[in-house]
Parts: sequence; structure tokens; C-alpha cells
Amino acid sequence: MLPKFASVTARTKDEALSWLSSLENPKIIAGGTDLMVKMRAGKHYSHIIDVAGIPELLGVTEKDGRMSIGPAMTHARLSTEASIVRNARSLALACGLVGSPQIRNMGTIGGNLGNASPAADSIPPLLIHDAVLTLESRDARRKVPLEEAIVAPYVTSIDVKELIDSIEISPLRGYREGYRRVAKRATWAISRLGVAFAIREENGRFLDARLAIGSCTPMPFRAKKVEDLLKGAPKNEATISEAIRMALEEIKLISGIRPSYAYKLPVLQGILEEVLRG
Amino acid sequence: MKTIRFLLNGKEASIEVEDNETLLCALRERLGITSVKEGCGIGECGTCTVLVDDEPHYSCLTLASKANGRDIKTVEYLSSSGVLHPLQEAFIRSGAVQCGYCTPAMLLSAYSLLLRNANPDAHDIKEAISGNLCRCTGYIQIEEAIKNAAEICKCNGQD
Amino acid sequence: MFIGQDITRVDALDKVLGKAAFAHDLTKNNMLFACVVRSSRPHAVLKRIDVSAARALEGVVKIISHEDIPGENLFGAIKKDQPFLAAGRVRYKGEAILIVVAATEETARRASELVRIEYEDLENISDPFLSIQSPVLIHDGGNLLSHRKVIKGDAAKAFESSDVIVENTYSTTWIDHAYMETEAGLGYLDDRGRMVVASSTQNIHYKMKEISRLLAIPPEEVRVIQATTGGGFGGKLDVTVEGYLALAVWHTKRPVFMRYTREESLLAQTKRHPLYIVYKTGARKDGSLTAVEVNIVGDTGPYNSYGETVCLRAAVHATGPYEVPNVLVNSRMFYTNNPVAGAMRGFGVPQLALAHESQLDEIAGLIGMDPLDIRMKNALKRGSLTATSQVLNHSAGLLETLKAIEPAWRERRKERPGSGFGLGCMYYGIGNTGISNPSSCYLTLTPEGRVEMHSGVCDIGQGSDTVLLQILCDALGMEEMGIDLVRGDTDTSYDAGSTSASRQTYISGMAVCDAAQKLKKYLKEQGYYDGKPLKDICRDAADKGVPIFEGYFDPPTTAPDPETSQGAPYATYAFATHMTEVDVDEVTGVCKAVKVHAAHDVGRAINVSNVKGQIYGGVAMGIGLALMEEFIPGKSESFDNYYLPTSMDMPEVEAMIVEDREPTGPFGAKGVGEPALIPQAAAVVNAIYDATGIRMRQLPCDIERLKLALEKDKENKR
Ligand SMILES: Cc1cc2nc3c(=O)[nH]c(=O)nc-3n(C[C@H](O)[C@H](O)[C@H](O)COP(=O)(O)OP(=O)(O)OC[C@H]3O[C@@H](n4cnc5c(N)ncnc54)[C@H](O)[C@@H]3O)c2cc1C
Ligand code: FES
Ligand code: FES
Repeated sequence: MLPKFASVTARTKDEALSWLSSLENPKIIAGGTDLMVKMRAGKHYSHIIDVAGIPELLGVTEKDGRMSIGPAMTHARLSTEASIVRNARSLALACGLVGSPQIRNMGTIGGNLGNASPAADSIPPLLIHDAVLTLESRDARRKVPLEEAIVAPYVTSIDVKELIDSIEISPLRGYREGYRRVAKRATWAISRLGVAFAIREENGRFLDARLAIGSCTPMPFRAKKVEDLLKGAPKNEATISEAIRMALEEIKLISGIRPSYAYKLPVLQGILEEVLRG
Repeated sequence: MKTIRFLLNGKEASIEVEDNETLLCALRERLGITSVKEGCGIGECGTCTVLVDDEPHYSCLTLASKANGRDIKTVEYLSSSGVLHPLQEAFIRSGAVQCGYCTPAMLLSAYSLLLRNANPDAHDIKEAISGNLCRCTGYIQIEEAIKNAAEICKCNGQD
Repeated sequence: MFIGQDITRVDALDKVLGKAAFAHDLTKNNMLFACVVRSSRPHAVLKRIDVSAARALEGVVKIISHEDIPGENLFGAIKKDQPFLAAGRVRYKGEAILIVVAATEETARRASELVRIEYEDLENISDPFLSIQSPVLIHDGGNLLSHRKVIKGDAAKAFESSDVIVENTYSTTWIDHAYMETEAGLGYLDDRGRMVVASSTQNIHYKMKEISRLLAIPPEEVRVIQATTGGGFGGKLDVTVEGYLALAVWHTKRPVFMRYTREESLLAQTKRHPLYIVYKTGARKDGSLTAVEVNIVGDTGPYNSYGETVCLRAAVHATGPYEVPNVLVNSRMFYTNNPVAGAMRGFGVPQLALAHESQLDEIAGLIGMDPLDIRMKNALKRGSLTATSQVLNHSAGLLETLKAIEPAWRERRKERPGSGFGLGCMYYGIGNTGISNPSSCYLTLTPEGRVEMHSGVCDIGQGSDTVLLQILCDALGMEEMGIDLVRGDTDTSYDAGSTSASRQTYISGMAVCDAAQKLKKYLKEQGYYDGKPLKDICRDAADKGVPIFEGYFDPPTTAPDPETSQGAPYATYAFATHMTEVDVDEVTGVCKAVKVHAAHDVGRAINVSNVKGQIYGGVAMGIGLALMEEFIPGKSESFDNYYLPTSMDMPEVEAMIVEDREPTGPFGAKGVGEPALIPQAAAVVNAIYDATGIRMRQLPCDIERLKLALEKDKENKR
């Protein structure tokens, strides 16, 4: 049973923005796959604003070498959307692994970001694609890199009166790109570890390597130091083991030692080995 | 309270629902469609699955207001012409039904698959029902039933 | 001929149409809703209960405590030790304290949250090994619920002369039944003022008796109806909603509905027993087993439920399906303040199978013998003596199941790194252990010219309704299914006993055969077999007063000796062998079951499709038990952290049916419900060993446990 609230369905972005600014204690709902669970557990809002059907928040467009993803795009659609499969393969793969078919038909990428779980599967791929969110309220519009938008587990810097208008990413072409995920069950289980990677190499050297790791630290993070190390480095066991050592160090630096690391760090090491060796 | 209008199993429906009501609750309690089950209430069992515009959704996580203007199907749709759908026939014949609590939802997930993919392979079938738990059957006879029904649908040129 | 045919289930049509009325779907005009207030503490005295705020809520009709119980507060299938509503003290987190009855479900739940309870905590006994030392007694009789022994020969002496001895410790954890339909029901008074309860249940007559004690009314004043039941697996044997509904109806005189949320079902309902097993096996160089010594410690939680049953059944099955001349088993079941553990598919035997099958593989490894060969060498067969010195006179098809698997086993190839193969065998006594557990039924004729079968058997999805009809048709020599089924209602049936212990096909099937013999004699006299239409016979019968043909069967067993458990606790046993192929990803610790061959000696497959359905479902539950299911008290609050296998977790399964006919069973049938599950986890664990060289002795062997074991192994090798 859900707590009492009033709900409205926005048909346009303007309608949503004006409700967000005028209604008291408002909350956006898209697919509802996170929010409904939380509300059932007792979380209360006065007004729920449904943005799932707003046409402006749907679709994927390409402009000036960047791609823009509508936040109301479902995981199911993104996982098969041709331009995403082509230009952001890790994202397509990750979206295709979220929850179950029903969850993918309902859950949206905007909701995945809005919920900001450490285990959110779309976040590591978005990080390696330098995602930038466009946030909009009735009175203002601003751009925030995804890394800055998530400030703590389940906490974002998105204001209650703001809406994710779009998610911009850089396409990556000519990269070996993917998403590796570990969970306690073959499907329909939160990831225990998620690794998004995109690697470009030539003549035995890493030209560019992008790595982001989810479900390990309080927020999924992009392993920038490791990426710097790999850039231009020869592709050999020494480089790879140094890169992995660094990645594990970075994780321990971010969150100290956690009981779950007895499992996660050796697994991450193995996955990174496979990913970097290719 | 608000009024929502939608297609329910191919027929216009219009009901009053609470703002905080789930589609699951509206279907079961206002419309008496008890074939839609509640096994967990939080998107973790699949027994509440309904089709929204022919895609499987969990009705326990769906606000009733989201049905407004949409095409909602429950298992009753499959036999609305008065005869069993090949999937229903196949479920009976293949032993895909044990306790039956998961069955209506399984049928809907399978039906949605066949709409999208007339030639599903074993993996497509497994994946299509991977958001529907069944504690009794181990899924195997369900998968066989879906495979058999797909064959029959193809022959009949039926959806 | 109906037997051996894939007759489609009589209940399937309504189920695919979505028309079947499950307990969750029941409703009645003017109905109230009940919900239970539960303890938030594992062990405490109830100091003060303040219901004023709850009572003040608009729509609340009645709040019921133990003081409002007209009859006996204690229930239990084996021993009456569990209160319907806590009387001054709670013994586990989730124990029922009050019932709130209100006009809507929402109001009932909201009111239940407004109840204020002051607790005075008592020592929380959470470790079965420490339970016995605690000065705090969970029950007056002490914290040891049961101690059963199996003594055959002289194990100590036999170990001295054994060539190899292997000793290890195994442990398993709580498992939830996780039927898709949670507990639910509807209670009301009928036109005559009798108490009627319809619910999701495995045993209507038992529940009728418990309600009669609870309300202090004669059993005839109670009617229990089985609604279409969304799974049971043992979890719907104990009284749940039935007692609360009866009390609520008693006090309000109105229809009352209630259902558990999934969270409530996980919190409050019984679980599979965690067992800790120390297992010592001795063998000769040629692979023949010389002795086993087994110490079992079980955690039954604060109430018996089926704790004694599990204690004894685990003990008598401890050797596995092998000839072992010398046996010493000590099986102890302790009370704790953990969740109540009760009946779940296999009653302790799947846990023991993990141990005896791992042990056997280890012995085989030490003496360089093939795992299949060592099983064949020691297999129980016709004429063998079991651990309780019962002579297997009849059906005993273990060897045939091993032979069915043999080609696949001998041809196995490790195609990939990480792939491995394992075997698991089992035997399982059909019916309750060493006690009378009869089934009865009756047949009659309808004016329309049909035979009517009155059955008190609860079909919980396994298909007993269909199977009993098949048996009846063949027993009567009918060519068409001219039978109406009247079922699942204490008013219209005799007591068939519980749907548990894989007993319904065998025992109730025999009861049906017994009744059929009588009807057949009558039909013969009336000329049915000479061509007189049933319709005419029925019409004549109606004129004379329709006779009733009663059937009864109680499997012949002997009570186990109290000291040694020697005897014949079961009339017959089912046997099975599972072979499992796994793929272990050493990087992630993910073990995927790829392929299972499952061969079962079921005596006779009355309905092949149903038998296969049981095997597939048992494999699924075994995969869960082996690889992912773990109920952690306080943590496993819903299905988001209690994982059940999905379609994607399932291996390919090849079900093989072996039919070593059982002369005491209906057309040779035994049972398969629990056997289907029992050897599966053991086979997975043995396959993991084959893949990795690591023995996993604790279940579940989930990704973390397996990865940590792999890491430790790497370290040890360094
Ligand atoms: C059974 C189950 C399994 C799941 N499995 C996975 C999984 O494997 N991987 C995974 O990553 N997640 C998983 N999830 C979580 C969830 O499905 C995803 O996070 C999903 O992407 C959420 O999207 P939604 O549209 O349903 O979000 P909602 O619940 O509608 O919203 C989530 C949050 O985002 C906010 N929000 C939504 N849209 C916007 C917007 N446009 N602008 C601003 N804020 C917005 C909401 O206000 C809310 O705070 C699972 C959930 C369930 C119930
Ligand atoms: S009720 Fe379980 S998924 Fe909706
Ligand atoms: S048939 Fe019982 S849950 Fe699927």
C-alpha cells in the first residue's frame, strides 16, 4: 500500500516544469521502478509528477559530434537503439542487463540517474562517454557533468524543482567497448560489480583506455589515474598489472577496506585482466 | 480520485482510481480481474505482469493513472474470441501449469514475445520469461509450450 | 488405459484462463480484513501492549489477543507447543501477538502499526550449539527438542578395519518455500452458523481439527476448504491464516479475509532446517562401505513444527541409498530463537544428501575409483538391508537409475576450462516415518450417471487430482473419464492426510484403489461390465438409495526402535540419480548449471508429464539450494535479497523415468515430489569439485563463497 499523494501526468516539458515549481513537495516519476518500491516502504511525497510520456524527453539525437539521450528512454529501447549500439556499446549492453524484461520496459535512464544507486548499471557506461546532464527548471537551465551530479549514494545535486532534460554523451568509435557485470543470479539481480570499458589500441600500445567501475565504491567512478597510466603505454603484462594495482589502490583510497572487498577486489582484478588483455 | 480511460483487453474501459493506486490494485479490486496476481508487490516475482501496449510491465509498480490512454491486456485477452489461444492450449498440453499462480503472467510474457518474434529460439524464450518467477515447474515445460505454440501460430498465421 | 498416459490436468484449463480462484482471490459481501501484529524481538516478555491508538482508528472493528481465545491457544502437527497468539512471551522475531480486524486491509495494516508493545528482552538463543548450555529455557522441557539415534552393527570397530576413512563437516542454512502465492484465506459463518475457512493449504482435515481445538467447538462445526493453492512445498502444512481467520470470524460474526504480504511470509513462516552435519565414512580399498558415523545438529527455532520429523527422517536417511553394514547416527534438534523451521520438500534429506554424496566422492577419489562405479558397488537393491535393517523386498531401482545415467556419464567431456561433472544419488521413504498415516476416500454414483470421487487430498499444483482420477478410471476399467471430482472440502471428503512426504500418489492412490475394488464389485453385480450403461445403473441406485464405496490405505510400517531406530519406517522407497554438468567462472565465482540428467525410479509413472514436471521443478529448487538461496534472519526481507532461480539459471534437464514397480502401490507407483529435489544440490557440489578441485561443504555455494574458496585455494597452493 502506498502512502497518500496526489499525482499528475505531464504532457509537455513545460507542464512538468511549471508543476515542479508550483507544487509543494513534488517528486518526478518516470518508470516508477525505483520510486514505487521506495514509496511502498514508506517514503512520502505530496505530489507525484509523471514525466514518462513527455515526447521531448524521449529519443536519441546526434548533433555536433555529441549524442543526446532523452531521460525517459527505457532501458529496453536504449539496449536496441541502433545509434547507441553503434556509438556507445557499453551503454546498450548495460541497459540490456538491467533487471528483467519488465523492468527494462518500464525503467528509464533518467530514473537510473535520478536514483543514483551505487549499483546503477547505466552509470559506468555513461561515465566513460563523458556524460553531461542538462538540468532544467522553470527559470533556469544548466549543464552538469554526470560525475558532479551524483554527490553521494542515492543523492544527486539535481534540485527538487529540476528535471533532467537530456543526457549528452560523446560517441566512441573504433574502440573495443563493453560492459561486464557480476550478480548473484543469472539475471534480475542487482549487480555486485559492473565494469564499463572502451579501449583503443594500435601496434601493441594502448592509445586510449576508458574504465568506469560500479557497485564497488559509494558512487560508480571513472578510473582516471589508471586511464592516464594506460594512455600510450605498451600493451604488456607489466602495464596491465600496474594498471590493476593502481585501480585497486584507488578504490581502497576512496572507500577504505570493506568486508565485501574480500570478494569484489579479486573479481575486479580478474575482470580487468580480461578486459585489458582483450 | 481521477478518471482513467484505457483499452482493457480490446474494450474501452473507464474507471475512477485513487491518485496513489497501483494498476494491480485497480485491475483486481475495481475491475475484478483477479488473474493478475500479487506475489511480492515490488517487482521481484512477475505474477502481476500485464501488457501495456503489448509490452510486459509489472502492474504492482505501475500507477493506475499510467494506464490512461494505453492498451492494457491481461490473460483474459488471449481467449477473448471464445477459443483458447495456441499458447494456452500448449501450456495445458505440455504440463506447463502446476500450481498455476504464475501462469497468467507467464502467458502474457510469452504472448508479447510471439508478437515481437515469430521464430523465437530457446534463448529468446528463456529471456522472455526471465522476469517471471515460477517455483513449481523449473520453467522447462513452460519453455516447451511456448516453442510449440510458436510453431502453431506460424502455421495459423495468427498473432 | 489412463495410467502412463499424459492426461492433461483437470485444473489446467481454469488456470490458463485466469479463472482459478486462489485463496488471494476469495471475497464475500460485507467482508472484513485481518492482519497480524508481530513481534519485533526474538525473545522477550511482553510487558505492556497498548492498543488504544489502533483501536481509535476509524474502521477498526476488533483487536484480538490470546485472552480472546475460547479454546486451546497451542497448535502443532507433531506437538502442541506453538501459540496462535503469544501469551506474555515471544520466542522469535515475527511471532504473532495480536490480530487486528478492520473494514479495509489498509486500515488493518495501519492500525497494526499503531500498536505499542513494551518488551523486556530475554537472552536471544541464536546458536543451536549453545542452546543446550543456556540457563534460559525456551520451553519448560529444556532446549533439546529431540535426539534420535540409528545404531546398526558396530561402527567404531568397523572403522578400525577400514582402509580409508573420510571425515568432514557440512552445513546448510534456512531456505524459504517461496511459493508464489503467500498465505491467504477467507473465513465466514455458513447459513447454519458453522465456521468455514477456505485457504491456501496442504491439509484440510488437520486444519479443521486445529480450528476446533482453538475455538473449543466440535470438528463437525468446522469446515475447511482448500482454495486453489499457489504452491506449498511443506510451508502450508502448519496452521497460518486459518487460525487467525477463525478467531476473527468468531469474534466479529462477519466474513474475514486476510493474506500475508511477501515480507510477512518471509518473516513469519517456517523455513527449511539448517543442519550441521559431521560425517565420517569408512570404506575398503575395493570401494565397499564399511561404516558411517554421523552427528547431526539441527536448529528448529522456538517451536517444534516438524522439527522432530526432520530429526528422525534425517537420521534414518543419513547413509544415503547404500548398503552400509555399520551405522551410528546421532541426530539432535535444538530449540533456538531463530525462525521456526518446519516441513520443506525432503524433510532434512536434501541436507544429508549433500553430506553422503560428497563423502562418497571423496572416498572414490582416495581409492581411485570412478564416482559412478562406487555408487553402483554400494547401491541398495532388492534384498538389501537399509540403515534401519529393513529388507528391501520390492521396488528398489537405484541401480537402474545409475544405469540410465551411465552412458552420459561415461561419455562426459570437459569441453571448457571450468566445466565439471558430478553425481548425486538418493533414496527416500514414501509417507510418514514409522507411524500410521492413512488416507481415506469415498466414491458414489450421481443421478446423472457418473461416478463421483470424494477426495480430501490437497492438490497444491503437483497434480494429485489428475493422477487419482487416472488411477480410479483404470481401477474401474473405464474407457472414458466418466468421473466427477469432489475435492478439497472437509464437508464432502474423508481425511486423506497431508500433501507431504511424497505420499499422495502412493497412499491416497491405494485408498482410491481400495474404494474402486468395492465399486467395481458392485458395478459387476449390476452388469456394467456386461454392457449395462452406467446411467441406468445409477438410476437404479438412486431409487434404492445411493451406496457409498469407501477406500482406505495405511502403509505397513513399524515404529522405529526408540534406541536404535531399527525397523521398517516406510513401506517403500523412491530412488534417484542426478548427474550435473557445471561451468565455473573462476574469475567471478559464478557457477552455472549447464545440464542435468535426472533418473528417477518412481515405481510407475501414472502421468509422465506430471512426473517430469516434478523432476524439473525439483531440479530448479535444488539449483537454488546449491547456488543461491539463503534466508538470513533480519536481512532477507523480500525477494530483492532472497534469490530464486529464474529461467536463465536453469540447466537443460533430461528427465529419465525408471519403473521398478512397487507391488504395494497403485499400479506399481511410489512417489517423486521430494526425490526430485533431494540429490540435486549434492550433484552440483560434486561437479564444482570436479571443475575446481574445491570441496564446498557449506550451502549455498553462492558466487561469493565460491570465489573466496577459489582465492583461498590459490593461496594455499602458493
Ligand atoms: C526488480 C528490480 C530490479 C532492478 N534491477 C536493476 C538493475 O539490474 N540495474 C539497475 O541499474 N537498476 C535496477 N533497478 C532499479 C531501477 O529499475 C532503475 O534504476 C531504473 O532505471 C529506474 O528508472 P525509473 O524510470 O523506473 O525511475 P523512477 O522510479 O521513476 O525514478 C527514480 C528516481 O529518478 C528520478 N527521476 C526520474 N526521471 C527523472 C528526470 N527526467 N529528471 C529528474 N529526475 C528524474 C525520480 O524522481 C526518482 O527519484 C531495479 C529495480 C527493480 C524494482
Ligand atoms: S507482484 Fe511481484 S512483481 Fe509485481
Ligand atoms: S506453476 Fe506454481 S509458480 Fe509457476
